[in-house]
Amino acid sequence: MFRSRSWFGGGWGRPKNPHSLERLKYLHNILCKNTTVSESNRGILVESLRCIAEILIWGDQNDSSVFDFFLEKNMLSYFLRIMRQKCGGSSYVCVQLLQTLNILFENIRNETSLYYLLSNNHVNSIIVHKFDVSDEEVMAYYISFLKTLSLKLNNHTIHFFYNEHTKDFPLYTEAIKFFNHPESMVRIAVRTLTLNVYRVQDASMLRFIRDRTAAPYFSNLVWFIGKHILELDACVRNDADHQSQQKLDDLVAEHLDHLHYINDILCLNIPDLNDVLTEHLLHKLLIPLYIYSLTSGSIKRPTSSPYNRDHIQSIEVITRNLEAILSGRSSDTPPRLKYPIQKMESEDDLKPSVSCVVSLFLLSQVFLIITHGPIVHALAWIIIQSDISIFDEGAMNILETYVSTAKSNVKLEFAKPQLSLEKALECSTCHDRDYTTPEYSGAKAFGYDTDHSSCDLDPELVSNSLPSTSHISETSSIAHDSTEDLVTQVQSIKSPVKENMPDSPLPDSGIDSTSSKTMSDLNNITDEEKQQLLVSLTNTEKSLTLENIIDKERRDIDNKPFLKTILDSLDCNEDDYKALFALCLLYALINNKGVSSELLDTLLKSELDDSEKVTKESRDENVGQEHQTKPKDHFNALLVAKLMAIAHLSCKPASKVRLVTCEITARLLKIAMEGSSGVPSARHLSAADNLRARAASLARNFYKCDDIFLDMFEDEYCEMCKRPLNVEWLCMDAAILLPPTKTPMSGIAFEKRLPSGEMERARRAIRTFFLIRELYLKLSGKQETQLPLANHAPFVQVGKTLDLNDSDLISCDITQKDGTWQHRFLAVDNIQIILVEPDKQKLGWGVAKLVGSLQDLEITGDKEDPRCLHLTIHKPRVGSTGVSPRTVLLRAKFKFDDHIRSMAAKQRLTKGRTKARQKKMQQIGRLLEVSGISAPAVAPRHRPLFARPSLSTVRRHSGIDGDETDRRIRRPSGHVLKDGVIVYRERTTMSRDSSVSRGSSGKVSREGSQEEIPLEDIRRNSSHPATPSTSRQQSTPSTSQLPKVSRTPSEETSFISGESRPKRKGIIETI
Amino acid sequence: MAYAYLFKYIIIGDTGVGKSCLLLQFTDKRFQPVHDLTIGVEFGARMITIDGKQIKLQIWDTAGQEAFRSITRSYYRGAAGALLVYDITRRETFNHLTTWLEDARQHSNSNMVIMLIGNKSDLESRREVKKEEGEAFAREHGLVFMETSAKTAANVEEAFINTAKEIYEKIQEGVFDINNEANGIKIGPQHSTAGGAKAGGAGAGGAAGGGCC
Ligand SMILES: Nc1nc2c(ncn2[C@@H]2O[C@H](COP(=O)(O)OP(=O)(O)O)[C@@H](O)[C@H]2O)c(=O)[nH]1
Ligand SMILES: [Mg+2]
Repeated sequence: MFRSRSWFGGGWGRPKNPHSLERLKYLHNILCKNTTVSESNRGILVESLRCIAEILIWGDQNDSSVFDFFLEKNMLSYFLRIMRQKCGGSSYVCVQLLQTLNILFENIRNETSLYYLLSNNHVNSIIVHKFDVSDEEVMAYYISFLKTLSLKLNNHTIHFFYNEHTKDFPLYTEAIKFFNHPESMVRIAVRTLTLNVYRVQDASMLRFIRDRTAAPYFSNLVWFIGKHILELDACVRNDADHQSQQKLDDLVAEHLDHLHYINDILCLNIPDLNDVLTEHLLHKLLIPLYIYSLTSGSIKRPTSSPYNRDHIQSIEVITRNLEAILSGRSSDTPPRLKYPIQKMESEDDLKPSVSCVVSLFLLSQVFLIITHGPIVHALAWIIIQSDISIFDEGAMNILETYVSTAKSNVKLEFAKPQLSLEKALECSTCHDRDYTTPEYSGAKAFGYDTDHSSCDLDPELVSNSLPSTSHISETSSIAHDSTEDLVTQVQSIKSPVKENMPDSPLPDSGIDSTSSKTMSDLNNITDEEKQQLLVSLTNTEKSLTLENIIDKERRDIDNKPFLKTILDSLDCNEDDYKALFALCLLYALINNKGVSSELLDTLLKSELDDSEKVTKESRDENVGQEHQTKPKDHFNALLVAKLMAIAHLSCKPASKVRLVTCEITARLLKIAMEGSSGVPSARHLSAADNLRARAASLARNFYKCDDIFLDMFEDEYCEMCKRPLNVEWLCMDAAILLPPTKTPMSGIAFEKRLPSGEMERARRAIRTFFLIRELYLKLSGKQETQLPLANHAPFVQVGKTLDLNDSDLISCDITQKDGTWQHRFLAVDNIQIILVEPDKQKLGWGVAKLVGSLQDLEITGDKEDPRCLHLTIHKPRVGSTGVSPRTVLLRAKFKFDDHIRSMAAKQRLTKGRTKARQKKMQQIGRLLEVSGISAPAVAPRHRPLFARPSLSTVRRHSGIDGDETDRRIRRPSGHVLKDGVIVYRERTTMSRDSSVSRGSSGKVSREGSQEEIPLEDIRRNSSHPATPSTSRQQSTPSTSQLPKVSRTPSEETSFISGESRPKRKGIIETI
Repeated sequence: MAYAYLFKYIIIGDTGVGKSCLLLQFTDKRFQPVHDLTIGVEFGARMITIDGKQIKLQIWDTAGQEAFRSITRSYYRGAAGALLVYDITRRETFNHLTTWLEDARQHSNSNMVIMLIGNKSDLESRREVKKEEGEAFAREHGLVFMETSAKTAANVEEAFINTAKEIYEKIQEGVFDINNEANGIKIGPQHSTAGGAKAGGAGAGGAAGGGCC
């Protein structure tokens, strides 16, 4: 078995080499001589152990005789002997022994060597050795040892660890005892180990896992998750002031860890294991704790529910079992280890329900992480389909109903236990484990009762647990009455919801309101007034099918307690605290791949589609109120109405809706409006358009021609593009579990809190507008063509050679802070400031050395030297994904030849900056439908839609996004160079550049025509103020329409003015 | 010997970059290159001294668990420091750094100190990643950088100890919530009021703690 590794000297035979069989023999001799560990020989023993590991690894790779010797002398038994000595067991020696074993198992590459090491049962004996696990160092090395072994598991090695005949698997059973160890790294190691074990996929071993350990392990796991979330709930309840956010973070992360762990197991696709895990999860955690908690606040469960009692009993039993497991080691465990378990026993924690907010949040996480069909589908079914009767029948029946009703292939094994499982249980109850092998004699005392204390119901424990059960019964007997109340309520309800939600009828009345009343009339009234108006409008049309449907759905939902809770939670009139979680849950549920689309139809299929055909029928039905027996209820219209209500609220100035809520609402609205057909109805489209107009009106409140608004507008757009909502990440953030706050000092991201101050209110309004606009465009299948705000021309690429003949150029010396000095020529056009260096080959041409955006330029004069200006030049904000954040390119002192030139430069730059910004403000004005910033007066026929006050354009899609045909005819302009400072050498290349740089702005469609247009023409045409039609849509309103831009010639330098101005000056400077 | 603080580290990076070797080289210097044999291990602990304080470092290797999402995410969270390792002789291990870093940043607590390690600096002739590239990456992402060799032990001590120093400084600055063990930091028995476990024997190489029988 001699093999030589490339970087080995190959000196295995060297006499002095410590890596040799001789050396091992010598070390063996030391072990023989020191069978009893004492203070005096401890050092030499540890030293020998290290050397042995080293030689063995060397032997593994070079000399098989080393392993032969090791095996022959049964050297592992020396290890055991040392370990078992009281004194030798001191952590110092133990740690070294464990580390030696770790090194051995990690570094051995040869399968045969590994088999040698594992061949007698020594390793199992070491595994079950009673280490002093209260010593954190020993514990760490011990669990690492177990984990390392688990990494060596495969279909062959498994037989060294799992004994099929004795039904013995110490590696696994010892490890899972620590699954709830207070040390996180230990818990992680246990999880790793279990996953490594499961994935071996050895049938016999898996059977053992399932029959002997799955029930106790999973029930304990599930129990601790339950305990954990009760703790989380308490933390949320007691911390309205954001005091223990760190703790909450940990608890949330911990819950996610649990879910991911469960998901990792489920993803291994081991059917038997998954069935047991699914059963435990559903029965003992997800249904009783998560789902039932949804209604814990409103609907109380009757006492008679047998499920409740079962649930409590089993939790009791599990606790006791767990105690039994841990007390197996308790004699030598310090109280520290037991602490968390004892703490858990407090009465408060036993209350098996969490607040609705927490349960919505946790269920969202479940649906975001777990995709295992049988679990998520069952859960989704219960949430969506189960009706009020479940409180009488108990969860068992829910599941039965689910199994029989749901048209799915989901097989819930717990409904009909497999024969093999029964057999196995029989086996496990009568089979007394017998550790006859001598190695186990010591182990028997402490851990092996684990399997006996499985969670199978022990009658004694059940009766013992009665006190706490009765405690629960007491509370729920009160609840029973309220349930009856509820039933009567259900019968007597006649859509009172409507009064509470003044907004809800609004979204769906878009068509009628606009057709019956001109929106321009509504322009000057407040939102509330508008709403009242619209409500009254819709009230007159009570016969509308949609109204009936919503009414009906409102009545139907009362029969669906869980879905009702979720939909009711969407009410944001007070705040959006609960709504955010309901939205997350809906989002997660709808997007989970394990949930069947038929089930989702309940939420997504619009009943209007059906009812349009059978309108009459449904009307009759409504009169008779016999809908309750209908097999399939639909709640799409109600869902859309509720979502619209949130969206409308977020368009109000003093809204309590956070941006994140608005964003997720928009996402869901899109899904819900498109429905199962994938196409939104005309009614939905008009409602969305109406919404968009409201959002525009909200943002318009902040529209000011100051520097901040434009920067804010672009920054927010950039921010939104950069960080689109990720619901999974959102649900990882514990901060949202605390009541919404305003203050940025909470450290909570802007999107996840309410705005504080005017600035943030403006930001929120702008962002809301973006979100709603995006929703509208997506629904109507339109491309975004106006955002990000376009520049009138492409920016010049750095390094490009430009024809600067006939351009205004100003020579300057640029000095940076660090002393760097450069000489450049300054050129300016409509949007950019370009620093050029003369081209050495061609007179009159120059190379662009730096290109910055004029819009973001910062200009200050120099106090001492009138020839100097201080400029801060920013990078053009055109990135591959729209707008990129503001980045400084150059901050420097510019020194001009004389103070006249300095002044000219300053004037030119300031003007250019102002104009660039005004252009953009106009674009924003158009987006927000600001009155006055409409179509240019000189060309009203081109843009008639903008001539009217903003709200009048609400219904006209073409007005907002440009008429397609109109746009096609209009000649695009890659260049609106007011006085044509720059002529590009390569036209076609330039055109392509321009389209690339604005790739995401949706103008690609016009690229073709753009290339055909000679640039000189554009330049000439566009410089003429009377022909705005040649410029692109965004730049259409030329300066002549802007009231702020002064056209007084005296103020202008040659840069601003038209062709007629003399231009020679620039050229002179160039030469 | 009792410690003042215990820092938990994780060590991450592609397979084969030398994580296990670095870990053993640091925790047990006995495996010297003289033997021309590099040996690795996936867990180790060692006591160091910073500012006159005994600090125990526990280093956990995540190797072999990449397949399981639940495992990686919890590992990150429980650590105060991370060594992000690449192999200077294999460019792809350097290219993967971004992914590793994203993962780390997403799952770890924001105070976790990350040290970038370009390992196998002894293999100068096979170098594929320039030292400057490592430096640039570290600068860009706000990491501390070092090139090491687990084989010659060059810079190995420094890598682990400098990371510890930085964590220690953060503790002094009050950035870390040291009472929250989820941060990967533990206060030693001498600090704790509620009497944690006896620290038992010292790490490998230390003197044995009394507690016999
Ligand atoms: N030349 C050299 N080889 C190394 C060094 N560190 C590790 N190796 C080798 O690289 C391989 C992988 O090392 P290992 O520690 O197992 O990597 P891991 O997968 O990251 O744990 C082994 O063959 C080591 O011997 C080093 O610093 N220099
Ligand atoms: Mg490794």
